[in-house]
Amino acid sequence: MSINARQPGSEQSILRTWIVTLFSPVVDAGGGTLNFITNGVKSYTDLRGAREENIELRDKVQELTDEVNLMRERAAELERLRTQLALPAQASYPRLSANVIARDASLWFRRITIDRGALDGVKLSMPVAAAGGIVGRVVSVGPNWAMVQVITDKQAGVGAMLQTSRAMGEVRGLDNARCEMKNISSSENVQEGEAIVTTGLDRIYPKGLLVGVVERVEDDPNAPWHRLIIKPGAPVDRVEHVLVLLVEQKDLKPADTVK
Amino acid sequence: MQTFKIALTIIVALFIQVLLPGYLSFFRYVDLALIVTVYVALQRAPFLGMVTGCVAGLGSDALVGGIIGVGGFARTLIGYIVAMVSIKLSVENPLTRLAVVGLASVVNTVLFVGLHQMLRQEHVLEQVLPHVGSWREFGATVGWRVLGDTLAAAVVFILLDRVFAEQRAARRMAIKRRFYE
Repeated sequence: MSINARQPGSEQSILRTWIVTLFSPVVDAGGGTLNFITNGVKSYTDLRGAREENIELRDKVQELTDEVNLMRERAAELERLRTQLALPAQASYPRLSANVIARDASLWFRRITIDRGALDGVKLSMPVAAAGGIVGRVVSVGPNWAMVQVITDKQAGVGAMLQTSRAMGEVRGLDNARCEMKNISSSENVQEGEAIVTTGLDRIYPKGLLVGVVERVEDDPNAPWHRLIIKPGAPVDRVEHVLVLLVEQKDLKPADTVK
Repeated sequence: MQTFKIALTIIVALFIQVLLPGYLSFFRYVDLALIVTVYVALQRAPFLGMVTGCVAGLGSDALVGGIIGVGGFARTLIGYIVAMVSIKLSVENPLTRLAVVGLASVVNTVLFVGLHQMLRQEHVLEQVLPHVGSWREFGATVGWRVLGDTLAAAVVFILLDRVFAEQRAARRMAIKRRFYE
């Protein structure tokens, strides 16, 4: 176990840093080749039914464009109200796009490896998101790679709240592409499909990021709590591109968290 | 030359171990580092088996997460035990070799989980046991791992027999001399 040596000033294993740094370019190249082949086959099969899908997507684009316009209008209104009430503006953080080069290499840990590292400004505990919601947080960093613990990992925890009632709890991974949220009072009226967002209280994820939606509400008659099964907003088990939010604990001011 | 081949085999095994689970989810139940360790240990060389297990295990620990050294220790022990068994008993039959892989897989899983428990990383056991106390779930995981490792070993051993053809021939000759002369 003495091989579990740590880099001075960090909690990272030197052995892990070296080995993954040596392996990551090879894995990246291998993954690229496999992706090229699988995408080629998929592209061919996807051509079947592309016309119908195209028509459907055009309708969807129109629908979403209307929705975006409405949201912009609401955002502007919210900003005006914030100014009038002298509330601090919501912080926005720089983002760094990254590709997933490896995932779930072990049965025991839900981790993905991305092709960005310390040289790109990635640091430990930085949150990682994708289209749809948060993916996880950085748990290990090398010069050109970073290992991300996804939110469905049993060890992972996210400070979260129900979007409508603002009832708070902790979201934990269930290891089966789902998460759970406990300790929500059974007096709260929770609907399936309700969004769960981050509170910012964990000092890792900024406030207001989508975690997922309530898939199922499990009620134990002997307990005064709901147990919520949550479907993550981001496709954490098959995500290919992610965004690292370049935010550190010290950047998360009290205004970004729920008081 | 043999050392070089073993080193290369470990590197390729770790590379595949990191790359493939993203494409084939069942591959998560396969532990190539363990299979390579068992193969080398079956060459009736305890020291080589231990060193292979140690290097492959540490590499695996570094690449997939967890406490570095746990997998290394488990595979080192397995490398030694399998090598000693192969010296005492004849395990040349392909089915016997697969049975050894199955047993090694069980020992590996139990050691891995047990050591994490000992080192106060209880979450790993919780991960195996979604509901605390459900040993059935743990048994199922062990079973799937045995199946994954054994099926993979059936293919990997054929490939490795070609890579280590000279060593295999020499080993067979030595066994013949020992048992039949």
